[in-house]
Amino acid sequence: MNGWIYAIRLAALLAFFGAWDFAPRLGIVNSSLLPPFGDVLSTLWGLLDRPKVQEAILVTGAEVLVAFAIAIPLGTVLGVVIAESQYIGAIFRPLLFYVFSIPKSIFLPMFILVFGISFAQKVAYAAFTTTFVVLMSAAACVESVKEEFILVARSYGATRSQILFRVYLPSMLPMLLEAIRIAMIFNFTGVMIAEMYASRSGIGHLIAGWGENFQMPQLFAGILLLSLIAIAFNESIRVLEERYSTWRAS
Amino acid sequence: MSVSSSADLALQTKGLSHIYQGVNGEVQALSDINIDVKAGKFIVIVGPSGCGKTSLLMMMAGLRRQTTGELLCLGQPMHEPDPQRVGVVFQEASLYPWLTAADNVAFPLSIRGDDKQRARQRALSMLALVGLEGFENRYPHELSGGMKQRVSIARGLAQDPPVLLMDEPFAALDEQTRMTMGHELLRIWSTTSKTVVFITHSLTEAVYLADEVHVMSARPGRLIDFVAIDLPRPRTYEIMATERFGMLRERIWQQIRKSH
Repeated sequence: MNGWIYAIRLAALLAFFGAWDFAPRLGIVNSSLLPPFGDVLSTLWGLLDRPKVQEAILVTGAEVLVAFAIAIPLGTVLGVVIAESQYIGAIFRPLLFYVFSIPKSIFLPMFILVFGISFAQKVAYAAFTTTFVVLMSAAACVESVKEEFILVARSYGATRSQILFRVYLPSMLPMLLEAIRIAMIFNFTGVMIAEMYASRSGIGHLIAGWGENFQMPQLFAGILLLSLIAIAFNESIRVLEERYSTWRAS
Repeated sequence: MSVSSSADLALQTKGLSHIYQGVNGEVQALSDINIDVKAGKFIVIVGPSGCGKTSLLMMMAGLRRQTTGELLCLGQPMHEPDPQRVGVVFQEASLYPWLTAADNVAFPLSIRGDDKQRARQRALSMLALVGLEGFENRYPHELSGGMKQRVSIARGLAQDPPVLLMDEPFAALDEQTRMTMGHELLRIWSTTSKTVVFITHSLTEAVYLADEVHVMSARPGRLIDFVAIDLPRPRTYEIMATERFGMLRERIWQQIRKSH
C-alpha cells in the first residue's frame, strides 16, 4: 500500500518534469516563455559556477539566517509573555491581532526610507513579518499545555526548571517545530519580497532582473534553486516534527 | 472502642475554609471543614458539583492554601506538595502523552532523582499491581480509558506515599468500566494498606468503596453528614443489591437533597 503511494508520487513528479521538458520541445507551449526543463537544469548548473550568483546566494542566505535569528527569540519571548501574563495579554492581544491581519508588504517603503536599500533593510523587514507569526504560534504553544500536566508535576514536588524542561518543553515541542517551520516560510518570503522590491544583491534581485529582461532559462533556474533550498529546510524540520509528535496521534 | 489519638490520624482538618476572589468579589468555596481521617481508612467525600470537593482535595495535596483553619497530614501541616506523604490521582487524561506507561509511572521517581534502573523496576511492579503487565511501552493514546486510569493509580502509588488522594478518577469512564475499576481499586487498596481519600459525585460508588462517607453541601461547601459504611469487606458486586446498601445510599441522597 505505502509502496504504491511512493511509486505513484514518483511517477507524478517524473511526469511533471517530463511534460515540462517535452511540451516546449514539441512546440505545445512557447519555448521562449517556458524553456525545456533540461535547458533550465543546465542553465542552473552554469549559474552556480558564476561568482555573481554565488555571492547572491551568500547574501540571501545571510539575510534569511540573521532575520530568523532575530525573529525566533523575539517572537517567542513576546508570545510567552502574552500567553503567561493575563494583564499584558488582555491589553496587547487584540492589538497584535489587528496588526497581524494587515499585509506586511505595505510597510516595505517605510523600511527602505529608514534603512536605505541595504542588508539591514531586508533583515529588518523579514524579521518584522516573521516575528508576528512566531509570536502568535508561541502564544498558542504555551496555551496548549494543559493545566493538569503542570498540576501533576507540582504535586510530585517538581521544581520550576523541572516543570519547564519536563512538562512545558516536551508538551510544546511538536507545535514549536511546526511554528519554526512555518515561520521560515514567512521569513524566506519576507527576504525575497524585500530583495525583489528594491536591492542591489541577492537571489531575489537576480530573479527580478532576469524576469524584467525576459531571460526565461535563468529565471526558472533561480526559481528552481530557491524552491530546492526552501523545500530542504522545510522537510528537515518536518522530519524532527514527526519524530517528536508520534504521541500526538490519537 | 478506643478514642482515636491524633497519632492514628492520617489527615486532620480543623475549621478549614477557602475564600477566593471571583469576578463579582469574594466567593466562599469551603466553610468550616472538620475531618479526621484515620490511617488505613478508605474515605469518600460526596457532594454536588461545585461544592468545593476538589478545592478540599487540592489543599490536602498541598497544591492550594486554605484561607483559615488548619490541615495536618501525618501530624504535620501541608504548606507545599509533599510526594513522600501524599500521592494524587487526578481526573481523566492527566497522563503525559509523550511518555510511555512505564515512564509516566516512573515520572514522580525521576522528579525525585531516583536511579533510572530502580525507577523503571518500581514502575514495572506498580503496573503489574494494577493489572497492566506487558503494557509498559504503550503510549497513553494506545490505551483505553480504564487502562489510562490504572496507569494514573500506579503513578500515584509509585513513591509509596501513605496517603492517596483521588479526585473523581473514574468520572470519565463508562458505567461498566467504572464498576470494574472500583472493584480493582479495593483490591489494590487491600494489598497496600494506604489511607485513601476519594472524591466522587456517584453515590453508588461512594457506598461501594468507603469505610466512611462525608457528605458536602452546595456552595459554600460544608460537611453536612457523616455516614459510617458498615458493609462487610471484601465487597462484591452483589452487595449493591442488599437492603443495607440501599438504605445507606438513600440516607446520603436525602442529605444532599435537603442541602439544596
